[in-house]
Amino acid sequence: MGSVERERDVVDGLISFFASQHAMRAEVVLARGGLRSRLVPGPRELSPNCGVALRFDYAEREKAVALLAARSVRIDGVHFYQPRTDAWRGRS
Amino acid sequence: MGAIYFDNAATSWPKPPTVSAAMVDCVREAGGNPGRSGHRLSIAAARVVTSAREALAELFNADDPSRIVFAHNATHALNLALHGTLRPGHHVVTTGLEHNSVMRPLRHLETLGVEVTVVPCGPDGMLDMDSARRAFRSNTRLLVATHASNVAGSVLPVSALATIAHEHGALALVDAAQTAGAIPIDVGHAEVDLLAFTGHKSLLGPTGTGGLYVRSGVALTPLIRGGTGSASAHETQPDFLPDAHESGTLNVAGIAGLNAGVRFVRETGLGSIQAHEQALATRFCDGARQIEGVSLYGPSSAADRTGVVSFTIAGTTPSEVGLLLDDSFGIMARTGLHCSPSAHKSIGTFPDGTVRFSFGWFNTAEEIDASLVALREIATWAASNARGTSWTA
Repeated sequence: MGSVERERDVVDGLISFFASQHAMRAEVVLARGGLRSRLVPGPRELSPNCGVALRFDYAEREKAVALLAARSVRIDGVHFYQPRTDAWRGRS
Repeated sequence: MGAIYFDNAATSWPKPPTVSAAMVDCVREAGGNPGRSGHRLSIAAARVVTSAREALAELFNADDPSRIVFAHNATHALNLALHGTLRPGHHVVTTGLEHNSVMRPLRHLETLGVEVTVVPCGPDGMLDMDSARRAFRSNTRLLVATHASNVAGSVLPVSALATIAHEHGALALVDAAQTAGAIPIDVGHAEVDLLAFTGHKSLLGPTGTGGLYVRSGVALTPLIRGGTGSASAHETQPDFLPDAHESGTLNVAGIAGLNAGVRFVRETGLGSIQAHEQALATRFCDGARQIEGVSLYGPSSAADRTGVVSFTIAGTTPSEVGLLLDDSFGIMARTGLHCSPSAHKSIGTFPDGTVRFSFGWFNTAEEIDASLVALREIATWAASNARGTSWTA
């Protein structure tokens, strides 16, 4: 799919935001701090505020929150997140 | 099959190759500041802008290209039209299908003393014309209506609405974000006073382009003021169009791309484009109705709609469906409320929203069929899995 292909790593944490600009900024901040993350469509059940959320390793949540706070990136919430849609990965 | 792009109502993709070529050519060969200097590069840039203005005037059947004012997008154009006409004490009539590009400026103007009446729409996304007629008052200054819903795909009878507005001494503003380049618009015939359009959707131009058609004789207060390259000896804003509303250097490269997009639309033929997108929507709706668990929203007749279709699937949420479509089937759609909470309230899908497919000129029947296979698989999965995911807040 070329440029529109999305990384398919599955991770179990999700950070929700109030605005997608914040999510985009958070991805950069986490990457610079050595944490892998993945932008995904924001699940409305967790946050109705923003169309984009960030999946990451839930075990790294304290480090992630500290990194984002140090860079003044506003977040809506941090969630443990294993959606049932993950079961679809690789089947199509 | 590779990636399938069904998000043309957000922005169209792909663009005709002539669009990017025109933008590259503009930056290389017409890189001056239009209207500011008299040298060859400035004149070359001004020619690009003039050519685009003429192409848009012809597309909308506006007799004077200077009545086309360029803006960043439809939202910018709508803000210019709303703030430029409405004052405290005025009354404005709008519909239950409007995008937040209309509702947010109106709700702000309401705090300043403008009265707002929202005419309700039915679950099929169609307007009750009798209610619309009854909404007008002696102090109604403006009617603002979307030409077509970005959620339900329904097309509103803007010509009839404009006639009602004029009968009550009000101006008619049409939001053509979803229709400019998708269905014919004749501002002369429809007697529309103000028409806001975006360049990056069905006109196939780049993002950051759009504009407002202003009928001759309609006076608008500028939204911003500044340098225009004209009447430079004066420290007051020029009162002639388009300069009155085009302060600051224009997005010339973007306008060059928009010019190429508009010319592609005109060469292809609006009739052909409309027929193609309606045929795709009909093919999709006919197929989706056969899938158990899929609910479609919007008008039942193809004649009343654009290439925008909203749906939900029982047992799952729009965001789940959107994720699965992208991740597992390579289908890009938009889910949620589409910046139009009012429209979702009208069709009964607030606050969860819908999945929206929006088809464009470059989509094919094969892509529709592939999406129906995907929806059938997702609907089957949703029906056989108990609702619920393992998450904790």
